[in-house]
Amino acid sequence: MTWTRSALLLTAGVLLGTTAACGGGTRTAGGAFDPNTCQGGTLRILNQKDAGSHLDPARLYTSGGGNIPSLLFRTLTTRNRAGGAEGAKVVPDLATDTGQANADATVWTYHLRDGLKFEDGTPITSQDVKYGIERSFAAELPGGAPYLHDWLVEAEDYQGPYKQPAGIPAIETPDARTIVFHLNSPHGDFPYLATATQFAPVPKAKDTGADYEKHPISSGPYKIDSYQKGKSLTLVRNENWSRQVDGNRLACPDRIEGSYGLDAAVINQRISTGSGEDANAVTTDTDLGPSELAQLDSNPELAKRVAKGGFPYTYYLAFDTTKAPFDNQKVREAFTYAVDRQSVVNAAGGSSLAYPATTFLPNNKSMGYQAFDYFPAGQNGDPAKAKQLLAEAGFPNGITVTLAHRSDNSNGDGPAIATAVQDAYKKAGITVNLQSVDAESYPQTVGNPATQPQVSIQGWGADWPSGGPFLVPIFDGRQYIASGGNFNTAHLNDPAVNAEIDQINKITDPAQAAQRWGALDAELGKKAVDVPLYHSTSLRLFGKNVRNAFVSDWTGVYDLSAVSVK
Amino acid sequence: MRLLWNRFRADRSAVFGAVVAGLLVLLAITAPLLTALEGQDTTSFHNDLVDSARGGVPLGGFGGISPQHWFGVEPQTGRDLFARIAEGAQVSLLVAICATLVEVLLGVAVGLLAGLSGKLVDALLSRVTDIAIAFPVTVFSLALLAIVPETFPRPLLVAVVIGVFGWGGTARITRAQALSLRTRDFVAAARLSGASGWRVARREILPGLAAPVITYGALLLPTNLIAEAGLSFLGVGVRPPTSSWGQMLSSATTWFRSDPVYVLLPAFMVFLTVLSFTLFGEGVRIALDPRSTRLSRKAA
Repeated sequence: MTWTRSALLLTAGVLLGTTAACGGGTRTAGGAFDPNTCQGGTLRILNQKDAGSHLDPARLYTSGGGNIPSLLFRTLTTRNRAGGAEGAKVVPDLATDTGQANADATVWTYHLRDGLKFEDGTPITSQDVKYGIERSFAAELPGGAPYLHDWLVEAEDYQGPYKQPAGIPAIETPDARTIVFHLNSPHGDFPYLATATQFAPVPKAKDTGADYEKHPISSGPYKIDSYQKGKSLTLVRNENWSRQVDGNRLACPDRIEGSYGLDAAVINQRISTGSGEDANAVTTDTDLGPSELAQLDSNPELAKRVAKGGFPYTYYLAFDTTKAPFDNQKVREAFTYAVDRQSVVNAAGGSSLAYPATTFLPNNKSMGYQAFDYFPAGQNGDPAKAKQLLAEAGFPNGITVTLAHRSDNSNGDGPAIATAVQDAYKKAGITVNLQSVDAESYPQTVGNPATQPQVSIQGWGADWPSGGPFLVPIFDGRQYIASGGNFNTAHLNDPAVNAEIDQINKITDPAQAAQRWGALDAELGKKAVDVPLYHSTSLRLFGKNVRNAFVSDWTGVYDLSAVSVK
Repeated sequence: MRLLWNRFRADRSAVFGAVVAGLLVLLAITAPLLTALEGQDTTSFHNDLVDSARGGVPLGGFGGISPQHWFGVEPQTGRDLFARIAEGAQVSLLVAICATLVEVLLGVAVGLLAGLSGKLVDALLSRVTDIAIAFPVTVFSLALLAIVPETFPRPLLVAVVIGVFGWGGTARITRAQALSLRTRDFVAAARLSGASGWRVARREILPGLAAPVITYGALLLPTNLIAEAGLSFLGVGVRPPTSSWGQMLSSATTWFRSDPVYVLLPAFMVFLTVLSFTLFGEGVRIALDPRSTRLSRKAA
């Protein structure tokens, strides 16, 4: 768990187009879609940035294996390629099932399916999967998520296979098709983690260390034909892959050509116009902005080519609940009542790009969302109730606080949201002084308890669509990090909350766990440990010829392994 | 003086510039009053005036212009645009005027010192002036504005940053003028009668500098206004919720299709201000320039 978590997740989400969803449903631009006749054509990807700063499975930080990476790297498990809540489920990929756990979810066993091959025809073994994971521990290959590092038994000091070829003892491969993981604590969410690219097989013989990203060996439906970092990527079919050995990816286009380094407005304009080859275009990192929504109204053809979704994300006001005045529940409640969520949603881009938040968990079934609004402020806030609570708390003449925000609006926690909060709080007698923090250093400033601002706008998305990664880093008292990189900005350390988290982590049934996470969110909501502001959603265009562009609750965008251009 | 006024008055474009510039200054000074008269303020959100589902585009034609909102409202927030344009006038003009003052004061001081001192000091100061002129001002301002603590008053900081890097031109003109004046007989006379260097500079040279410096200052002002707009456009100028034209232009750029009024307003204000002050400055220059009189007499 490092401070870069949210930044990286966001980056990965945006870059890899894994950002994602509350809407869902199938949206196609033409006639009925038939997976049996969808093959052919060239899909074009128009992106602002390269698909991940490093195309190495060890270095990618993805949710659900990413969008472009998932075309190259198969993992033990993967996200279900389906629309809506179905798409938030984990399904087996290389493995025959999503994992068999022991009684307390500390030992996880996987068996590989038959007939798996790399792009060069060599069979994929459980040793290749183990080696791929061990590479991700190497200091030479940074960037992946820290979970394996934290969860595997006695692996925190492992230096990677280049320095310690003996490997990690906590990962056993009793035979070529079996792999067993020993965890230091119960983690019912392990199947979700096994969707990450670190679980992709890497053939030891082909490993070139830091240069591996120039041509990573494919286990998926496509392989790299040419790759110019930061500029272009061309994928062609991997002849050693077939639908017989992969039940998840349709892989309709024969060829995929990606162009990077384009401007957001240019991408949207090109897909919108759709002339020539742009009719086959999609983007994995560019959403429609608020100023571009009005044209959807005047152009019904274009309105049909919009994927609606959104990577489940929550923006909230964070404060230290151990420090005055926020150690007083009444003050925290007053701050919740006073917020005008309609202003906040408008500042975030309007009702098509955001919806008001009264819960910490976004409105997603897989997260365990339970609707509650303990301090009902209505659409526009309840300044009278807030004033009354402040008076009861000993602030009859109002209160002055400093609100920190990121210096630009591109991450949804910038001056637009801050001024909306400031204006609403004025009506409740809360004077807000804005503190603009440089976009790059904002996470460090907030994540270090020594420099944590009095109040700050925070955003949070989970690495997989379960309540655990959404709630644990924010509310688990043992996740508080005094030295920096802290996400528990409330400085909460409630033994009852910590104990409940431990209990839920033992549950291996996602539906049962989701229900408990939702209940925990509601318990936390009663304490007003933060002020939920809004959940972001997104709209993304696809080309005129693009079919089967359904949106899942996991990623919130269309899936490249499912779309067709024929 | 009367002659000057008559010559200035005869120049129609200069008079137009002066009148418009005067009105803009008046708008800036009376901004809170006018906003109160309109019945609005700069920071209040109006959720009922924007179409949330369509990205927050203002309801009604022409950016939501109505008797209540003279210039319409800002997309997404519904904040009153007249109030924000008027506040922007205050910020933009104040920063531009302060920056110009800083430039003129620094420039005249350095130029005088260089022009009236010995060769060594002159050479040194002239090289410093060269460096000041050649300095990549925008890049350095960006860096400086990014590292100064948030607590420092932003408009003042922007004015000082623009001013501190823009004095080179004034210094050069002052030095040249001082060099030519010091050789005149009346200066020599003052010297021989025992006047100190300071007194010579103050009583004999300085009055002779007035014309070129005032002219140059009047032309610097619009440049500085653009510099402020540029820095705010890049996000390092004044901070929200305070408005400035550059900042408004910056957030308006993506709205040119769905809400053109929002883009045109600040753009037109910057254009009008720069045009009026430039015309005014030109008028002053022509009125003060003895050669232009001869030319115009010949032409007449």
